[in-house]
Amino acid sequence: MPISKPDSALLILGHGSTENPDSSHPSWEHADKIAATGQFGSVHCAFWKEEPSFRQIWPMIEEDEVYIVPNFISEGYFTREVLPRELEIEGHNCERKGKQIHYCDPVGIHSKMTDLLIKRAKEILDPGVELSATTLIIVGHGTNLNKKSVEAIKDQVAAIKESGEPFGDVIDAYMEEAPFIADWKTLTDSPIVIVVPFFIADALHSYQDIPVLLGIESEPTEAASQRDIFRQNPYAIEGRTLYYSSAIGTDPSLAEVIVDQVAYFDEHYRS
Amino acid sequence: MTLADALENLLPPDSTLRLGELQLSRSPEGSFRAVHSRNRDSMERLEKLESLAELREMAKFDANNEYRPLKTAPTLKCGWVTECDEPAEFIKRLDAIYPGLFATWVAYDAGKLDPVSLRTTLDRQTGMYRFAGTINDQMANEIMREVCSPGCIRKIAWPIDDQCAVSRIKPHKRFIPPVCTEACTFAVSKARELVKKAYDKANAPDES
Repeated sequence: MPISKPDSALLILGHGSTENPDSSHPSWEHADKIAATGQFGSVHCAFWKEEPSFRQIWPMIEEDEVYIVPNFISEGYFTREVLPRELEIEGHNCERKGKQIHYCDPVGIHSKMTDLLIKRAKEILDPGVELSATTLIIVGHGTNLNKKSVEAIKDQVAAIKESGEPFGDVIDAYMEEAPFIADWKTLTDSPIVIVVPFFIADALHSYQDIPVLLGIESEPTEAASQRDIFRQNPYAIEGRTLYYSSAIGTDPSLAEVIVDQVAYFDEHYRS
Repeated sequence: MTLADALENLLPPDSTLRLGELQLSRSPEGSFRAVHSRNRDSMERLEKLESLAELREMAKFDANNEYRPLKTAPTLKCGWVTECDEPAEFIKRLDAIYPGLFATWVAYDAGKLDPVSLRTTLDRQTGMYRFAGTINDQMANEIMREVCSPGCIRKIAWPIDDQCAVSRIKPHKRFIPPVCTEACTFAVSKARELVKKAYDKANAPDES
């Protein structure tokens, strides 16, 4: 959605990593893409585990109005507790040291994520593959610590099913809770399976852990080989054909979802 | 005063300034340049980096291609130069190398950014870091000695607790002090590690 806020700053929040150099990459790419449009006075990123940190960001922002969009996959511990605490903000709208702060929903719960997942699933398929012969698996981490992340994936699966896209089936699966992605061969019965990780970045989970659980790698590979994981599609495994996508958060269209969360904020939360 | 104004004041035409491992300079005509300080006398063979993405990528790895999660680690690569005319653009480029370092100094020096004590930082942690606030002063000193001092170019401006006095870092004509106004994620992680180690030691099964 085209918006113009030359007097406002956009702040994109990410997790970042002290171990994985690729973790913050999608957030920076989206920020650069949005900055190039000139829709905001300035565009910034801040991270929990990288720099600039959430605590370092405020002196860098000169605009009096700031839209904050968490580049997180779901609501939960981080978006409701850690980010507001570290940024010293409260609620969707607040004033912080003379600045008007607008705290938007995380990107992962925007309705456009459904279109993005469908687009990603289709674009990694070879030409001529019938969608009706496929099962699409949206895979997440899954953990008792954050039920919201599982809810977000279940919501997406339901939305894809309702979209009318002719996938043979659409299911959810997780790394650390049932239904386990490691059981993909028994969870599905279609000849072709498409796996799209519902993660923000191609971090260790999407290029090391999940490939092992899927059986396309025998052991975790080095970070340098990550691109190969996604280039070797399709994988032939026990008479089935498997297509494996990079994390949904790496899709360039996510920059538009970030801006759309700002537009959604203005329509629904702005006071 | 904007950050761009602050930069122009600190770095007038035909002058140089240090910022961490960077040598900043400004031509008599007013354009800005940054290089690694070890490259300040060897401009010809330097790779020109003009985009923020290129600069971020350069700052992401050290000379041995090891990931640099802490951008103010004293391991910035040599061999590059970035130049531009606009102060606001130059600040963005500095931020791609040292995120927020310039703005932090400007806010600190103007009295608009108060340092946060280590205990305040640790006490507000939750989740897996919730016990970090139970460190003793010896552990706090160990964090500064083992994490901050060798691993980061920033100068600590925060006290261990709110009762401790800490000297304010003063401005300097030849360099911008790389100031640390609050302990970072590495210090918090180290605090957790020290607390856990002490707990495990105190609760180790008696083997006698």
